[in-house]
Amino acid sequence: MEAFRQEIILGAIVLYMALCVTIGLWSMGRTRNAGDFFIAGRSLGPIVVSLAVFASTLSGFGFVGGPGLVYSVGVSSFWMVVISATAFGLGFFLVAKRIRMIAELRGCMSIPDVIAARYGSELARLLVAITIVLGVLGYLATQILAMSVVMQAILADTEMFADISLLGCVVLSSTVLVFYCVTGGVIASVYTDVLQGLVMMVAGFLILITAMQAFDGGLREASEIVLADDSESMMPFGAAGIVTSVGWFFVFGIGLAGQPHIVTKMMMNKKLADNRAVLPLSLLGYIVSALLWISIGLVMRAAVVGGGAEPLAQPDDAASTFLAMFANPLLAGIVFAALFAAIMSTSDAFLNIGAAAIIHDIPRALRNRPVNNELFWARVVTVILAVVAAGFALFSYYRDATLVALLGAFGWSTFAASLFPVLAIGLNWKRATTAGAVAAVTSALLINFVVQLAGITLPWGISGGLAAFVTSLVLFFAVSFATPQPKLAWDIDRMMDI
Amino acid sequence: MDRTLVAVIFAVVLAMAALLLLIGFAEAPANAAGVSHAEIAAMQAGGDGAARLEAVGGYAFAFHSLLLLFTILLCVLSVNRAKRTSVFLGWMALTFAVNMLIWRQIYWQHQVFLESGETGWLLGFPTATAWQIYGIWFAGVLLIAVYSAGFRRYVLSEEDERRFEELLQEFRESRE
Repeated sequence: MEAFRQEIILGAIVLYMALCVTIGLWSMGRTRNAGDFFIAGRSLGPIVVSLAVFASTLSGFGFVGGPGLVYSVGVSSFWMVVISATAFGLGFFLVAKRIRMIAELRGCMSIPDVIAARYGSELARLLVAITIVLGVLGYLATQILAMSVVMQAILADTEMFADISLLGCVVLSSTVLVFYCVTGGVIASVYTDVLQGLVMMVAGFLILITAMQAFDGGLREASEIVLADDSESMMPFGAAGIVTSVGWFFVFGIGLAGQPHIVTKMMMNKKLADNRAVLPLSLLGYIVSALLWISIGLVMRAAVVGGGAEPLAQPDDAASTFLAMFANPLLAGIVFAALFAAIMSTSDAFLNIGAAAIIHDIPRALRNRPVNNELFWARVVTVILAVVAAGFALFSYYRDATLVALLGAFGWSTFAASLFPVLAIGLNWKRATTAGAVAAVTSALLINFVVQLAGITLPWGISGGLAAFVTSLVLFFAVSFATPQPKLAWDIDRMMDI
Repeated sequence: MDRTLVAVIFAVVLAMAALLLLIGFAEAPANAAGVSHAEIAAMQAGGDGAARLEAVGGYAFAFHSLLLLFTILLCVLSVNRAKRTSVFLGWMALTFAVNMLIWRQIYWQHQVFLESGETGWLLGFPTATAWQIYGIWFAGVLLIAVYSAGFRRYVLSEEDERRFEELLQEFRESRE
């Protein structure tokens, strides 16, 4: 079997992509209007929504950047993973019920729609829509880049595609993604999420088993090797230290309820009461899949510091090197398919919310009416968004080889800081005002972009995302308290009493 | 009650912001956020753990404790006032207490290791790290249990569903 390693891996990926294309074609007939395209007509059952929520949460960042971060900074990055139970719990408490109610009440198709209904403000809608478009471009570019880099690494080992360029891989990998997003909209997106979620769970479980067998003494031996080399790396705050660790807990945990690609899924279930099952199922899927993040990173760090493997050229090589060293070809095929699944399940969600922001929300905010034939334009804009993001990815790659992981974190923290106060708290606090919402979104965007673009390094490993998040929360409350109490629309007022 | 609750939440947020400022202005040792590994490129090391906890360990502990409180208070805010029974508040208090216990164990076990250089092991990890990995997940599961098991009591009762249906009906009629 080892002699056909590359063929088996390629076969698994081709099979996975063929299934995605098939789902796209199947969904095309079920996508009749913009409501179907953006929120699947609020018709999904609890298992589909659960898999869609967790598959959207765990992106290529979890499969490539996550193990890379454990390799690079040790246990520090575990904080991003172990927070998941609290993060999902908080997200469902704050958002799941009310966002589903407001979506049905006002016919909302997007997060900016929800914001406009809650605050009665087109300015708030516009700001949130712009935030989403900016965040989507950065995040989508990261995902496309990750997908293309992995594909290039796989194809480079074959005779036929040994010299394939990164551009060629961007085109190849994005074509399947764009195809099913354009044909089937969010219906294709959530049903591919089901496939992708299942593949990710299988991969996470099998990788844990493999990682436990990588050393004779199991994970404990790996931990002992890392501890002996640099004890802090194996202690709870890792090499990056306590401030970075609790900062990641804050941004990745609390911030989950502000991720538009995740909370949009909470608008799609058929019954409100399904949420009681969706929450534990989503978490279960996430935990099983995320085992891969922890186990690969730890084993690769132990293998390198223990002298069992050559140092990696860059941390993001951890997953592919692990597979080459420890996984049989069949498992490697499943994991590579799962990696593409993780990337594509997040990317399709971003394409969907980005297209909604551009053709649905921004025109409504500026002209107070939507564009004609939203379904057609949604498909056109989906293609344009993918092309622009792919261009951005290539530009980023050749100009600046920053870790894929950190780019991903920037996208996450931008959404967390901008949208959590406005959406998650705003849906539960009637006193929140439009001015408070505008102050929160604006400050979060400004701080995130200035820190990132100017390359400012804050002391103690405090991230720009954490600074932005805390600032936006302070401003959200302070400005809301300082401005007159808003008069809510009667239906929103009553909905918030339920 | 919401007014008081939100005032407390805001106070917690302000306290977290103040602690973050205190951390930011504290003098940072060279390894505050890690240093390059002595032998392996693209890898970071933590170095002297005691030195970097000395200046901000207390602030960071307090910051994270407030963050846990913030999380629980937001969950309480999301539940309708009429459903915030003493039993519900008891569950929330228990969840917070468990979270705090786990956080205290993580921090304290790390301190023990820094002072003694020795650690116990649990399910493949040093004790402090095991508390982090297994404990935090467990504490979060408590929150999920309250949500799912208490769904009809605290989140959405059948009466709530009926009220929502009525609201939908009224809203549609008002648009006709």
